[in-house]
Amino acid sequence: MITYPFQYKRAGSISEAVALLAEGGKALSGGHSLIPSMKLRLNAPDALVDVGRIAELKGIRLDGNELVIGAGSTHGDIASSGLVQQHVPMFAEGAGHIGDPAVRNRGTIGGSLAHADPSADWPAMVLAADATIVVEGPSGSRSIKATDFFTSMFETALAADELITEVRVPVENGARMTYQKFSQPASRYAIVGCAVVKSADGKVRVAFSGVSDTPFRDTAVEEQLNSGQSATSVASGVSVMSDHYASEEYRRHLANVFLKRALNAVA
Amino acid sequence: MHNQVIGKPISRVDGRAKVTGKAKYAAEFTAPDLLHGVVVSSTITKGRITHIDTGDALALDGVVKVFTHQNRPKLAWFDMSYKDLDAPPGSPFRPLHNDRIKYNGQPVALVVAETFEQARYAASLVKIEYAQEPHETDLQHHLDTARKPASGLASLLKPPPPKARGNFDKAFTEAPVQLSTGYVHGFEHHNPMELFSSTVVYGKDGKLTIYDKTQGAPNSQFYVSQVFNIPFRDVRVVSPYVGGGFGSGLRPQYQLFLAVMAARELKQSVRVSLTRQQMFTFGHRPATVQHIDLGAQPDGTLDALRHAATAETSRFEDYIEVVVNWSGALYKAPNAQFDYNVVPLDQYTPLDMRAPGGVTGMSAIECAMDELSYKLGMDPLELRLKNYTEEDPNEKRPFSSKQLRACYQQAAERFGWTKRSPEPRSMREGHTLIGWGMATGVWDANQLPARAEAVLTVNGKLRVSSATADIGTGTYTIMTQIAADTLGLPLEDVLFRLGDTDMPLAPFQGGSLTAGTVGSAVKIVCEDLGKELLKLARKMPNSPFAKAKFDDVFFVEKQMRLKADPSVRIDLQTLVDQNGGRAIRTTATSMTNSLKQGKYTRYAHSAVFVEVQVDEDLGTVKVTRAVTAVAAGRILNPKTARSQIIGGMVWGISKALEEETVMDHRYGRFMNHNLAEYHVPVCADIHELDVLFVEEHDDVVNPLGVKGVGEIGIVGMPAAIANAIFHATGKRVHELPITLDKLM
Repeated sequence: MITYPFQYKRAGSISEAVALLAEGGKALSGGHSLIPSMKLRLNAPDALVDVGRIAELKGIRLDGNELVIGAGSTHGDIASSGLVQQHVPMFAEGAGHIGDPAVRNRGTIGGSLAHADPSADWPAMVLAADATIVVEGPSGSRSIKATDFFTSMFETALAADELITEVRVPVENGARMTYQKFSQPASRYAIVGCAVVKSADGKVRVAFSGVSDTPFRDTAVEEQLNSGQSATSVASGVSVMSDHYASEEYRRHLANVFLKRALNAVA
Repeated sequence: MHNQVIGKPISRVDGRAKVTGKAKYAAEFTAPDLLHGVVVSSTITKGRITHIDTGDALALDGVVKVFTHQNRPKLAWFDMSYKDLDAPPGSPFRPLHNDRIKYNGQPVALVVAETFEQARYAASLVKIEYAQEPHETDLQHHLDTARKPASGLASLLKPPPPKARGNFDKAFTEAPVQLSTGYVHGFEHHNPMELFSSTVVYGKDGKLTIYDKTQGAPNSQFYVSQVFNIPFRDVRVVSPYVGGGFGSGLRPQYQLFLAVMAARELKQSVRVSLTRQQMFTFGHRPATVQHIDLGAQPDGTLDALRHAATAETSRFEDYIEVVVNWSGALYKAPNAQFDYNVVPLDQYTPLDMRAPGGVTGMSAIECAMDELSYKLGMDPLELRLKNYTEEDPNEKRPFSSKQLRACYQQAAERFGWTKRSPEPRSMREGHTLIGWGMATGVWDANQLPARAEAVLTVNGKLRVSSATADIGTGTYTIMTQIAADTLGLPLEDVLFRLGDTDMPLAPFQGGSLTAGTVGSAVKIVCEDLGKELLKLARKMPNSPFAKAKFDDVFFVEKQMRLKADPSVRIDLQTLVDQNGGRAIRTTATSMTNSLKQGKYTRYAHSAVFVEVQVDEDLGTVKVTRAVTAVAAGRILNPKTARSQIIGGMVWGISKALEEETVMDHRYGRFMNHNLAEYHVPVCADIHELDVLFVEEHDDVVNPLGVKGVGEIGIVGMPAAIANAIFHATGKRVHELPITLDKLM
């Protein structure tokens, strides 16, 4: 399918992008979700603001106790980053299994988070890592905790005129972490994805993608696990999706299986 | 000594044309002022059209006409005229015939406009009202209406079930080990990538040139000529490239009828292409229910075998496939019974789909043999060998060749079958259960008559043609090889053309018979051309060939040479130059040797060994390794042949694990009529596929000794996978496809 006519604007800097977004339109990064959705008329912005060439959005660095990933980093950049592999290995592992090489070379972490597909891989990982998403808007920059970021299916706390600039991930010494998923064979989208971070003190954080219409931290299960019980209440507080890939029953089963496998991996 | 190119792994001669877009398909041909037709499909399954409102559609710019049953031209009256060359017994479906709806998705109107977009939009505005009647589409709920299929013209290619032998009831009752089992599969659709399309170019004189997606241009020509009462000479059908057929192009589909009708009525060129959804509105592999009873001695010797199948068909034609015969030919069980019935339902007539009946029947018998092997505590391969037969028990005649034993041995060795631990669930790695399974494949090796023409141009280039098809199998390539080999020319000096009714007649491409059938015609016509060359040589002054007979010469390196003394040679170019500046032209017909062939059963065979990994927690199945050994006579081109076999193996994985058209019986409509929800394997599903060709010599099947390989690759795969899944999990799934919910 072919998209309808639209305006294309390219931003050279974050401030320029924010100014252009204020005029209306949607930010275009890798375009791997936005362009297909425009072709299918599921999304119909009048203008696209291309943020793909903004140098400030690139790069991965350590800032004190935080790993800072530029929102314009591609999944491939993250998978191959020595800093990520050393400090937040789950991100490197997870990024390496997103889509296929073409997707990993174009798609970005910022784009994926802003799009907030409930089955995407990044949401579970940033939730379990307790990351912070930094955004820039007309009134300056603000930080949003990952746990406050995803509000509904394809909905986030990001305002229409805001741009994600970086993802800040706390670096925890001695933590073990993993991201495990049941992939859709054709797209590698997670039918169920489970991220687990186990701190040095043995406490775990658990997050799921693909299970519900909003990616979520499973606090009920965390409480059970952190008080020495077994995880019997997986996805108890959410409505579990049912579609042609997996029924609600099978999705619940998958959530349990992948939590078990993730816990084994961090044991 | 002079075999240069046959048996060599030659890359496709049409490969470059295909990847550069130079190869044109039916919908890519065009004509001045070409009109575009879009089909409106019925939304009910059974009943009558009570009202049609075409007003909104006709009011649009660019819309030329809306054809319905109310304004279609008068056409041929008798059913006979609508029977194409592959029509089963019955009364063929006639598009826009009357107000009756016979199946869901039936074409009910054709909107013709100046552009495709106009036609498509206008088609959405045609309003049709129906009076609905109750329909029946569920085979399993109507098994009580099963009956013998009508018999049509005696078909050599589709024999009836074999005659019963011995006393099955007695032998089964007395057998110390008994197995009664059943297998079911649902609807499947061919889904070639290329959509069915016909571009009908309307000539000044009213003559038609039709670019059609078909597996046999002559069949389309025949159909159009009969239905529209046009002489053959005024209908030329051209189909040089086909983007996959798998059987769906064996019969003319309704877009051909509609495009020809519109072009003739409007006296203008018209193209009609179907949508992907409409690709689910004609033939399909029929849903089939099978039952098998096996009675055996404790040592595995089969005493009793019964194989019964019931398949669906339409209300208007009795589609038949050969399902139960294979088991009777493969195993020598002295007491055997066979039965095949059909259940007419409110849907379109099924249609041959890659190894029709063969993959269906073999999937059942080879799973049943696996079940029996566990009952006996016997290795599944041992059980096959125990009941191996060197003679066809159905017909009590020998096989023209049967290297199945070598297939079993070589494939088992390549696979490492002896390392198998026989107990189910006994091989695992962590949460992954590993299973090894095997099965047998059998398929026909038929030959039909065919014609071909050969021309040696004044420049010494060879042009060979025959009105066959290449549906992606490699026909262009192997025919080029055969022609080049026969006349000792390099491949680049040979051009083989096909898919045009102006060329000499050949049967449709189907049933794995093209290599043997058209190949024989090409070989013979090139030999005839060689004989003409010899005549020219003999007439030359002081010719060293003066007394030579055709058997005394051979052709190599663009020369004719004497076998007795290869230094006696003459350039083909020199011979062409003797022909008074004219090209040398021969046409020939290859006939089948029915007397000789009729004394033998002619089959290709295969042995398939498969490894699966099943995730115990998730029920997901991965076919991690598969080895197929094929005995198919002489292999003309190991590269294109291997492609055919691995294509069949991939489809076998699809059939075993993924593929099914699911019907909502409340509406009589297929729910997953698109390639997103009609699941087939993606690259990530395919792992190691290994193909072995076992040496096999056959003087009977055809003059080339080849057996086609288009279908044998799929036949054994589904059963081998199902058997491997049982070995991995201990679960016997009786319904294909084996989706993960059936393993949970």
